[in-house]
This record gives sequence, structure tokens and C-alpha cells, in this order.
Amino acid sequence: MWIGSQAPPEIQPQATKDQADVNSTEKFFISRYLTAPKRNLLRFSFVFMVLGIVLSVGILSAGLNLFEGYERALKSVLLDSFAHVRIERSDGKFLEAEQIQRIRKSLGPLDEISSITPSIGLNLMAIDQANTRGCIFNAYETPAGQTPHYAKYVIKGKATLRDGQIIVGHYLADEFGVTLGDTLRVLYPQLNRVTPMGIYSGEHLFEVAGIYRSGFYEFDRAMIIGTIADARSILFTDDLYAYMDIKLRGSRMEDAYNLANQYSTLLGRDLSAYPVVGSGLMRTVAMQKWLIFIVFSFLVLIAGINVISAVSTMIFDKKNEIAVLKTLGAPARTIRRVIDYQVLLVCFAAIILGQAFGALLSWMVVKQSFYRLKGDVYFIDRLEHYISLPNLLAVFAVAAVLVLICVWVPSRRVDRLQIIDLLRNP
Amino acid sequence: MNILSAREISKSYTDSDQRIIVLEKASLEVEQGALISITGQSGCGKSTLLHILGLLDEPDSGQVFIKGKQTSSQSPDAPAIRNQDIGFVFQFHYLIEDLCARENVALPLLIAGQKLKDALSEADRLLELLSLGQRVSHYPNQLSGGEQQRVALARALITRPAIVLADEPTGNLDPGNSLEVWNLIRKLNRELGQTFVVVTHDREQAKLADQTLELSKGQVRLL
Repeated sequence: MWIGSQAPPEIQPQATKDQADVNSTEKFFISRYLTAPKRNLLRFSFVFMVLGIVLSVGILSAGLNLFEGYERALKSVLLDSFAHVRIERSDGKFLEAEQIQRIRKSLGPLDEISSITPSIGLNLMAIDQANTRGCIFNAYETPAGQTPHYAKYVIKGKATLRDGQIIVGHYLADEFGVTLGDTLRVLYPQLNRVTPMGIYSGEHLFEVAGIYRSGFYEFDRAMIIGTIADARSILFTDDLYAYMDIKLRGSRMEDAYNLANQYSTLLGRDLSAYPVVGSGLMRTVAMQKWLIFIVFSFLVLIAGINVISAVSTMIFDKKNEIAVLKTLGAPARTIRRVIDYQVLLVCFAAIILGQAFGALLSWMVVKQSFYRLKGDVYFIDRLEHYISLPNLLAVFAVAAVLVLICVWVPSRRVDRLQIIDLLRNP
Repeated sequence: MNILSAREISKSYTDSDQRIIVLEKASLEVEQGALISITGQSGCGKSTLLHILGLLDEPDSGQVFIKGKQTSSQSPDAPAIRNQDIGFVFQFHYLIEDLCARENVALPLLIAGQKLKDALSEADRLLELLSLGQRVSHYPNQLSGGEQQRVALARALITRPAIVLADEPTGNLDPGNSLEVWNLIRKLNRELGQTFVVVTHDREQAKLADQTLELSKGQVRLL
């Protein structure tokens, strides 16, 4: 006869052996932790551990969010504003009609190309009584009836120009104090008038018909968009165009470097193609982002010291319970896991909390008005943050691995604890 | 039939280069259904003997047989034997503070691989039998000392062990609760045939057992 039930409980002799999978005891404790978190997970000894993880993961996430935002904003500006690949003559002269035809014929049918725009670019200097600024004058031959590709960046005035009119970047407009309808004086070298004193400079007054904001600091400060006729007039040439600017479609934009090499090979030796987009810059930014990730990951490792401390304290606090579980026949691995799960649940919750804190932190950094990005240093002048799933997963994975190590190292002590020592020294 | 036998168990400790002999060729036989108490002065080695019998400690020499099979605390199957054949009750209840009474009682069955639902159901029935039916959901800090020890007793009994080893089970209780626990032990022994070995320093309480042994100078003798 048995005192408990009609039928005595069936006990499986193998159940107390170490098993790789989660056994009934572990499942039971996990369910206890999840169903009664207030009793099992909210402990004073966890406070500093949780704080450490939340802060370090938060800073890591915020850093990554801001760098991701910066990278994307920079990429967006670089890829979206202007041409991706530029083709010019290998000897630096203006393109000939045959070459223009060859470029259109060879590259026009390619799927990755969205437009081929003839253009002229030259250097000149904007000047007034107080300021002088070296600028690039770009002129694009937009086919009749089509909107110029830079039109979406024009924030004031118009995108379609008459001869004698220009569009300037907003920084340049601010620097020279010009607005729509004002005139901007430019100086340029007259290459056909070389004197014993040097190259004679020409002068031109342009009416400001539009102001644009591309987001790329260098362009917004020093690029002037004008008409093809004015460009030719400044250069004293009747030639056709200096460049053929190619815009690529969608994701192929990022492949500008390789495509430019392919186009150079395709077009022959008299023409050369090169990427306008600074792929090196993008690689540098990406590298910086991962460097920041590695450096900030050390913060999580430092926070891991708190985890080690918390686990050690917990083992000390629970030594009676450990003794009881061992006495009742629980394998050391099971006891270790029961402790590990408790700490890990708290740690994983702290990591997720840290990621949320990081998102909030990066959002606050973007929204604050105390510090603006210096465009002359960082190419763009606005802070952005972007929360991407791969970054979230990367932060979680790194933090989780570090936390796992920091839990695993001290919890091995459980294996070495002798029941008798625990019972003798309660 | 002997449920538990100990043959010529010796155990000594070294303290500050001094060898202290606690047990010297102590032998003991426990028959199925027996209620045995072991008494002796404080520090005479009662708990050490019990720990060795329960495979919690290793003797310097001698053998322990459980259900006729020789075993030791270092044996690979020692955890399984502790789980299934031996029940333990200590002076301190050693209940897990974060688990309620029924969960504490169900633990040995969970360790043995039972499903949670079955283990809890079994624990409820056992607690009911020990007059703790109204306290199943209470946590240890919500129970009185006597109740805590009765829950510990239920935990020791739940796997139907061949023998329950109790180390000063009433050492922390007032006289009223001590008597209550002893009555429970006697009832379980009389009515259900559960084998008990109870260590106590209290000679009066020791007399409540059917057989009283004394541990003195490292040896066990019948009182």
C-alpha cells in the first residue's frame, strides 16, 4: 500500500542521469521563472547586473543605430543626388559626336542604366565684396519635356533654367546672402587669353533662379547648376559635352565601381568611365560602424563582470538549495542549468530592454538641438538613426554570447560543490 | 530483510594537524519497517554516520549496502539511489523558498523524470494525508516550523523510499511541534511500514523509536 495515490508513481531510473536535453526539473523551474517572475527574477542582487547590461547594450545599440543612420543618409545622398558613373575622354578633351553616339549605343540598352545625361563641368569662383568660394559649375543636357534629375532637391525657385540663370546650394546662398532673383558674380579662367601675367580671368553675373538642398555638404556649399550654353560660353567652346553622366537603377547603384570598369572595357581605350560615388568613403563609414560595434561590445563585456558577480552571489545564497537538490538526486548539470536559466532569463530581458533604451537614446540624439553634425567634417549635416533588424540581431547575439560566457564561468562552481560541505556549513 | 547495512564504517577528520576519529568500525543493520533512533552526545558523529548511510559522504573504510547492494557516495548511481531509495529530513527544513509546499514536495518526482502534473497531484495527496491540505500553495515562509518540517517529511516520502533518514528532525522545533513530528513518524511507520532511521541528541525523544542505538567512541551499540 502506498500513502499517496491508488497507483504508486512510476519512477524512471534513468531520469537522474545527466541528459543533454532539458529535463522535467529544468522545465519546471523555467516555467516557475516565467509564471512568477516577480518572485523569481526580481532580486536585489540582479539590480546592478541588469543596469550594467541595459546601459552597455543601450550604448552599443545607440552607437550602431546612429552609425547605421549616418551610413544610410550618406549613401542616400551620394547615390541619389547625382550621377553614379561618369564617362569622359581618356585625353581629357570634350567628347566627339561619334563617341557620344557610341556611348549611347553601347550602354543605352543595358538594364541597369536608368539615364545617360550629357554634361559639362568646370571650376570657377563665386565672389562678392566679402566672400570668395571655389565652386564647380555643372550643366546637364536634360531632354526636352523631361524633368531634370536634380529637380527634387530644389527647395526654392525652379529646376528648369534659362541661359544666365543658375541654381545654387543653400549653404552657398547663405554664405553670399543671395536669394531668388539676386545675382551672383563668378570669376573663371579664360583659357584663350593667356598673358605674360598669367591667365586672364573672365567674369559673369548669373541670376539665382533656384536654391537646392541635396544633403551632401560639399555640393550644397560649392556646386552651381547652370545651362549647357552658359558652360560653353565660359569655356569658350562650341564643342558638345565634356562628360556623359550615367545614373544606375536601384541596388546596382552600389555596384558603380565594378560597372565603371566594365564600361571602360566595353567602350574602348579612348573613353574612360569612373564611379562618381565615393565607394571608398562608404567602405570607410561601414568599417567605422563595425569598429564602433567592436569597441562598444567591450562595454558589454565589462557589464559581464556584474553578471559573474551576481551568479557567484546567487550560488552562495542558494547553497542550501543546491545541497537539497543534490541530496534529492538532481545531477549537477541540472542544478547548474536551473541557476543559469534564472540568470539568463533576466539577462536576456535586460538585453532587450537595453536595445529599447538604445533606440530611445539614438532617437533623442537625433532630436536634440544642442549639437549639429559638422557638414565640412562628416559630409552631411544631419544626424540620422536607423534601427535595422540585422543590427538588432548582431547586438543581441554578441551580448547574449558574452552573457552566456559570464554565466557559464561562475556556474561551473556548482559542479564542484560537495553536498556534505554545504550541509555542514549551512 | 535488511534494507540498509553498514559494515565497519570508519571516518576521521584532520583539524589543525590533529586527527579526530569520528567513527571506528561502526556497524549497523536496518530491517524493513524498522523505526530506529540513533542518539549520542553532540559531536559524536551521529550526523556523519547518517550522511554516510545516505550516500552523502564517503567513509574512510567500510561498506554500505542498500537493499542488499553495496554502494557509496562516489558510485555513479548514487544520485539515483538518493532520489529513489532514500528520503532525507534535516534539522533545518531546507525547503526551497521560491517554491510553494506542493512544489517542494513534488521536486523528487520531477528529478526522477515524472511529469509535472502527475508529480503535483501526488504531492497534493501526500500533503493532504499529512494534514497539510490547506497549506499546499503556501510558501515556506508562510508555514510554521512544524508545518515546514512536515512538508520536508512529505518531500522525503514522495518517491516511496526504502528508508527515510532523519537528522535531528525536531532539533529546531518547540516541544509541541517536536511531539507532533514524532507522532507522524510513528504513524507512518506503524500504518504504512515506512522504515525510519532518526538521529537525535535528545534521549527522551530517542526512546519514542522501537529501537534506540547509541553512538559512542565511534561505535554503535544498542541501548
